Parts: sequence; C-alpha cells; structure tokens
Amino acid sequence: MRKLFKKKMLVWGFALLASIFLISACGGKDKKDEATVDGELNGEITFWHSFTQGPRMESIQKSAEDFEKEHPGVKIKIESFSWDDFYQKWTTGLASNNVPDMSTALPNHVVEMIDSGAVVPLNDLIDSIGRNRFSEMSIGEGHVDGNDYSIPLYSHAQVMWIRKDLLEENNLEIPETWDEFAKAAEILTKDGVYGASFPTGSNDFLGTRYLNYYVRSHGESLLTDDLKANITSDAAIEGIKFWVDIYEKASPKDSISYNVLDQATLYYQGKTAFDFNSGFQIAGVEANSPDLLEYIDAAPIPKVNKDDEELGIETANIPMVVWENSEHPEVCKAFIEYLFEKDRYIEFLSATPVGMLPSLNDISEEPAYKENKIVKQFSHAEKVISDAVAKGTAIGYEHGPSVQAGLLVSQGIIESMFQDIITNDVQVEKAAKAAEEELNEIFSSVEQ
Amino acid sequence: MIKRIKKINYTSWLFILPAILVIVSLLLYPVLSSVVYSFTSKHLTRPVSTFVGLQNYKKILADEQFYKAFFMSIKWTVASIGGQVILGFILAMLLNSIKIGKKMFRVLLIVPWAFPVVVIAVIWKFLLNGVYGFIPTMLVNLGLTDTLPQFLSSGTLVFPTILFVNLWFGTPMIMVNILSALQTIPEEQYEAAKMDGASTWQTFVSVTIPHISKVVGLLVILRTIWVFTNFDMVYLLTGGGPANVTMTLPIYAYKMGWGLKLLGKSSAITIIMLIFLLIVCSIYFYYSDKKEKENV
Repeated sequence: MRKLFKKKMLVWGFALLASIFLISACGGKDKKDEATVDGELNGEITFWHSFTQGPRMESIQKSAEDFEKEHPGVKIKIESFSWDDFYQKWTTGLASNNVPDMSTALPNHVVEMIDSGAVVPLNDLIDSIGRNRFSEMSIGEGHVDGNDYSIPLYSHAQVMWIRKDLLEENNLEIPETWDEFAKAAEILTKDGVYGASFPTGSNDFLGTRYLNYYVRSHGESLLTDDLKANITSDAAIEGIKFWVDIYEKASPKDSISYNVLDQATLYYQGKTAFDFNSGFQIAGVEANSPDLLEYIDAAPIPKVNKDDEELGIETANIPMVVWENSEHPEVCKAFIEYLFEKDRYIEFLSATPVGMLPSLNDISEEPAYKENKIVKQFSHAEKVISDAVAKGTAIGYEHGPSVQAGLLVSQGIIESMFQDIITNDVQVEKAAKAAEEELNEIFSSVEQ
Repeated sequence: MIKRIKKINYTSWLFILPAILVIVSLLLYPVLSSVVYSFTSKHLTRPVSTFVGLQNYKKILADEQFYKAFFMSIKWTVASIGGQVILGFILAMLLNSIKIGKKMFRVLLIVPWAFPVVVIAVIWKFLLNGVYGFIPTMLVNLGLTDTLPQFLSSGTLVFPTILFVNLWFGTPMIMVNILSALQTIPEEQYEAAKMDGASTWQTFVSVTIPHISKVVGLLVILRTIWVFTNFDMVYLLTGGGPANVTMTLPIYAYKMGWGLKLLGKSSAITIIMLIFLLIVCSIYFYYSDKKEKENV
C-alpha cells in the first residue's frame, strides 16, 4: 500500500513538474541581454509605429537597417499599426504586459501613458539632440512634474483645404469667416460635389475636432480652466448648431458615420470643395486624383469676424516614447537620436512633404528640405500650416497636458451627441448638457 | 476499492495531464477572469484594482443604455434567426426537390460562408456607401429614388440593412444543415404516407417536420448563442451607430471595456450575457428533453 502511495506521489509530482515546465515555456522574455557590451549597444527592441503609408514606412525601415549595421549587437523589430488600432493595441498591451520598447504616439495618448506610468522620461535624449532646437510648446506636451516623457518627431496643424477651381468657377472668395464658409459650402453643393462634409462617426474624434475648430476660433475651449467638459458654453452651442446646419445643407448624409480616412477620401477624390486636415491632404490627392493637385491649397481656419486675431486651433506634434517595460531603453534612445540626424531626418520628412513639418526649428531652413518639389509647389500651404503649428495646441491642451483632454477625444461622446441630434432630433441644448455630464462623470473617475 | 485503483492506467494519465491542464486553463481562465474582474474596479491601463462587490452590476443594471442594447440584441437575434431559419428551410426544400444541378447550387449558395466576416462587412459597406456605393447609385439610376439612400446612416434604414446582410450571410449554413437532415429521411416513409392517402401538407407535418425538428432545434440554439454574442458583423458595418441605434450588448461591453477602459463594468456586462444565454439554453434543453421523453 505504501509502495503504491509512493508510486502515485511520484507520478503526480512528475506530471505537475511537466505541466509547470510546459506553461512556463509558453511565455516570458529572455532577460539575459544587456543594453551595452563593452560600450557597444546590444539587444533586441520592438518598435511600434503608425507609419502605414509606403514611403514613411520604407524610410523608417531603412533607418533601422542602417542602425543595425552600425550596431551589430542590435536588432530592431518593427510593427506598424493604423492610429485606430494603435490606441487599442497599447491599452490592451499594457493590461497584458505586452507593450513595445519604443513607439510613436499621439499627444493625447502620451498623457494617458504618463498617467499609467507606462513611459520613461527622455530629458537626457532631448538635451543630447538639443533642447533649444525644439519649440517649447512641442516639448511641453509631454512635460509632467519636471520630466519630458515624449520627443516630438514631426508636427502638423489643422487648416482649411480648398478647391481653387470650384471657388473661381462660382466667383467665390476663400472664406475667412464661418458665415462665409457656410454660404460658400451651400453654393458649392451641386453636380456631385459636396460643399463640406461634416464627419461624426463615433469610432473617431472628428465631431470633437470640428466643434473644437469653431469653439477655439471664438477664443474658447472645450475644457474649462478646472478641466471640466465645456460643451454648453454659448460658443459650443452655436458651434453644434453650425455643424448640424452644414450637415443638413452641404454634407453627404453618410458622413454621420465617417472616420478620418472616410472623410479625407472624399476630398482626395474631388467629392468635397472644402475640407479640414493637415498637409497630408497633398499626398492623398496626389495618390488618388493627381489631376486635382494644381487646384488644391490650404487656408487658415475661418474666424468669427474678419478682423479677429488669427488664433492657432489644433496642432499635433507627433511624439515618440520609450516604454517603462523596455529592457533596452539606451538602445531606443540611441535609435531615436539616430533618426534625428540631419540628412536622415530630411529624408524621412520628404516621405510626406508638407504633411510632416520638422519639429527641429533649424531643419526648415536647410536647402535640402526646401528644395523638395512638393515643398516648393505648396509653399503657400506650407506657410499656412507652419503659422498654425506655432499658434495651436492639441485639443484641450490650452490648459496644458491633461488626461481629461485625452478622454475628451477618445470616448466618442461628442460624436454620439451629434448623431443623437441629427438622427433622433434631440434638442441641441439638451444633447449638449447630456454629453457634458457624461464626460464629467468619466473625468471624475480618473480624478479619484 | 483497491482493485478499482489498480485498473487505472496512470501512465496514460501522466502523458495527457499537461495537455488537460493547458486546455482547462485556456477554457476556464477567460471565464473566471471575467467573473473576478466583474467584482473589481479593474481598469484597462491601471495596474491596481480594488474589490467593489456588486457595484458594477448595480451600475450596469441602472444604465438606460444597457437596456437599449439588451433589447437591440434580442431584436437582432430573433429577427436574424427567424429569417435565417425560414429562408434556409425554403432554400433547402427547393434544393432537395430539384434533380439537376443540386451540387452546383449547394456550392454557390454556401459561398457567403467561405469568406471571413471582416471581408463581407467591408464589401457590403463599400456597396452601400451613401456617396459612391454601387447599390445606392444603381437605385438612383434606375429611377427608383431621387436621392442616394443612406442605408448605413439613416436611423430607419440601418437595422433592416444590417439584418439583410446577416440573413445573406447566415442562411446558407442553416440551409445546408436542413438539406442534410432532409436527405436522411427514408424514401419509404414518404411512400407509406402516400399509400395511406396522406395529403402533401399531412406528409410534411407528419414525416418531414419530425425528422428535421431536432436538427433545426439544435441549429436555432447554436445560432442564438452565436448571433446574440456576435460582435464583428454589426461593429464593422455600423460601429453601433448612428446614435447607438444598432448598439448590441457585445458592442456596449466592448465600448465600456476598450473605450472607457472600465474592464470591471465590461466584465459585468459579459457575465449578465452569459447568465441570460444559460437561461435560454436551459429552457431549450428542458423542453427538448421533455419532448423526447414524450416521444419515447
């Protein structure tokens, strides 16, 4: 009996050991690598980026390969995702401890990343590249408690895109005020072209973005000074009514569910006369309708009155971050610094000329940058965007980086509010109040 | 007792035990973690969470949007399953009665099932696009409507539209299964019914229906679970919009977990769904067993 018991114990013990071995073999990263061996960089890093378009992806890939050649101990594994997937990827990745070593990000993501303790300070890297080469505002977007958690790779700003040919055919001037914009959009809605599409799909933040244009041009913000949602201000209510009116009179009805690509595609294909976007519109039109390229240009976002001061509306300084979980932060920082080397950086920017404006002040004066064919052709658009970059902030960042600003754009609540008004005829004031309360409830959950 | 223990082959158990542990873990872990999360303040990006008891359930059950999503899920499931079974049954009967080209039609009709849902959703979204979609443009060109119909953005058209896509997608599977059941009915039974002077309707009710009822019953219960928990088709076509008109429970749970990052509340929604489906299945199996006993 005792012998049998011993045998049983031996069998079960062995089975347990085998199971533990099997399960433990399924996961876990090898932590043996060191960041430097004899002063030489060493280790494998994973880099997530959102450059899904061909030339940018190729440029980053080439830089990685060159870096690997210069540092034989380094291996860079690149994975690319669209911005929509990217947000989901890092938030779920954080929950399952599956995040990269370094990545690109959106300014609003960075605050959430800092809030979650997911990224490391990059003060030393910024100092090494040259702190004074970056604009204070772009560095400030990742600045919390004396540390800089992100480094801006490139910048762009939201401006109004026009079709010069359509304006000319209809004897219209470039609209400078919202009233002029509304009238022109209505006039241009004919012959299979829509004056302006108002996108408000709840899987993206374009409804918030468009409302922000209107509210910011009134010198107000979608957040109050104490970081509460501000959707019921006079400017916001007026803005909601303005965009609902544009939707009724000048927009395709499908735009109620549009995301950023759906919206941009209409302009790329010549289906809209006006659009709001960054310099990326040029590459989109070039790829989809090259014949239209000579007719497009950028103009400042309309104001309330013609003689109002030109305010910056929405600027995006697209940053890079190094993740707390990284076992090789030194490799990541060295690679980021490598990307900022003058020739390499100009080559990267030329992958989407005018779309990506340099975050290093001195680069825009470099002949190699200025001589690019598209930069030359769209010098006016580039100036409009550069002026807007200098004056604007990310949505809600008028009060500095905050988690509330991130939540304002990531929850689809303003988009659902617009959908409710349009689809269910809900009164504007009532819908705005409900959206404001919903946002404040979410804000309060992060304040706890 | 000792005699019984001796009969057990420990070596075989030893070899399959790791596999059993892995499989059980993979099956149980997601369910158990959902149950555990539903009682906590688990947040997607925050490492620390606290036990909150039934707080998540209370909040969910007090949320008006939950009930809207719940009834939308029931409407979506009942309409989809009802339509799929009726259409699948009609198609199966037609296919069973034709003599030529049966195999070809069977293959053609199963085509929708050969594509991943994501492909189907993207294609239909493209076809129904309210600016340049093929179907709205064709309807205008045929003079059936003056303006482009907004199939996926109109509050009134969106549900019938996604229902149509789901019927197109799900009917072939029901059809193939019913067809297989129809082909197992012995020809002699139809001959016997004929000899007894049974009418077509009587033959259908007394011979055909009893033979396929079990298959249809199982299909209904399986499809109910699949359609009720279906996320991809509706999400890819409408994202739950416009204005949450097509928000089903899985989309509501997804938005709670991945939009608001409130995994605790999201888990509570999935547990409520699980309980609801268990009740539906229990009722089905109770009546199914009862009917079987009566027949015996």
